[in-house]
Amino acid sequence: MSSLTRYNRQIILPEIGEEGQEKLSRSKVLVIGAGGLGAAILPYLASAGVGEIGIVDHDVIEISNLQRQVIYKTEAIGKSKAKEAKAMIAELNPLVKVKAISEKLSGRNAISLFEKYDIIVDATDNIAIKYLINDACLVTHKPMVYGSIFRFQGQVSVFNYKNGPTYRCLYPEENLNAANCEEAGVLGVSVGIIGMLQANEVLKMILGIGAILSGKILVYNTLNNEQQKYDFEKNDFQSITREAFEEKYNKCEVEEVSFESVLNEMDNDEVLFLDVRNVDESPKISLKNQIQIPLMHLESKLEKLDKKQTIYIFCQSGIRSKIAFELLQKHRFKNIKSIAGGALAMRNLLEEKKDSHEFTNFIF
Amino acid sequence: MIEVKYFGAVAEKTKCEFETLSFSEQCSLQKLLQDLNEKYEFESLTFSVAVNQKIVSKTSDYTLQTSDIVALLPPFAGG
Repeated sequence: MSSLTRYNRQIILPEIGEEGQEKLSRSKVLVIGAGGLGAAILPYLASAGVGEIGIVDHDVIEISNLQRQVIYKTEAIGKSKAKEAKAMIAELNPLVKVKAISEKLSGRNAISLFEKYDIIVDATDNIAIKYLINDACLVTHKPMVYGSIFRFQGQVSVFNYKNGPTYRCLYPEENLNAANCEEAGVLGVSVGIIGMLQANEVLKMILGIGAILSGKILVYNTLNNEQQKYDFEKNDFQSITREAFEEKYNKCEVEEVSFESVLNEMDNDEVLFLDVRNVDESPKISLKNQIQIPLMHLESKLEKLDKKQTIYIFCQSGIRSKIAFELLQKHRFKNIKSIAGGALAMRNLLEEKKDSHEFTNFIF
Repeated sequence: MIEVKYFGAVAEKTKCEFETLSFSEQCSLQKLLQDLNEKYEFESLTFSVAVNQKIVSKTSDYTLQTSDIVALLPPFAGG
């Protein structure tokens, strides 16, 4: 019963009632960023009785944060934002289940995290991560509540709401240069206002009341109190599959090594040298632990390779071996490297070493 | 006459939040954007463009009408 009393002032709103309160307590919201926007959003979601809140932030509190990130105390400088925000909520409303995630949001954790929540709130401060959130929301079919600030102006919108327009429909060009608060400066109340508008959209969505800012971007100017709404439509091409997401965000750079740096591993049985050239190519290289699978056949002969081994891939000059690297990576090989310069560079080095009689265990 | 509104980093470049421009007949949106770019050198700034509160493609062949309001909306990043 204490919860009915706690939430009484909103339960008596005809638009909410006990039923609305029940919806709130069943809802799960993930807030990404516990900075200025997050500091406005989090206490209001918690006090309204959102059942479960996740907070993603890998930063620690700095003194220059306190003028706008009003949930943190001076004595908390140096502590984890996610953990401090969690502690704040625990004191504010112990009925809320909170998870502090002190990790950087990335292509590796975004999808598994988003799957656990109903609504994703973008309270971040850089453009690249907004595209990542947008794309992960598309893959997991979650709405994204967007907010951002430039000095005395703010923007709010809700993307991918019921399959509606996305961040990419509004900003198709991925330009990562826009200034954040550190560079541009900001007054605490400005982020507070925008964060509050985001929290409002979250609550409306959960309660099913009002009109959601879907396909609309609200632009607010705190200096003259003007606000404008702009409509935008969904672009046809804006769908992204899980595979495309992985491809975009989880592809590692091809790791290259020089042959010289791995010469001392030539006799190591944990190591395999993989020649992806065609059999008629020369110079022939034959090392003790070597196998030849031409690139064109590689994907169909993966069973010949052992994922536990370290695999050094080479071709003639180091181009095809990079393609082979990506192919093996796609099939979840971890310990792989491409040999820079390929067989040509390897032969030169082996000849040098042969002349100096350092190595005798190879044949041309 | 048409009105052009500028937001965020775009308004920093133009040093004003809006201006009224007289326009010749048959001026396309593309031509207007090209002229503004020459005047203010937006360079690497990206922005979306709205005509009468609706975001439109920058490459659309829309012909501006008297009393149209055009807005240049860059993405914001602060938070």
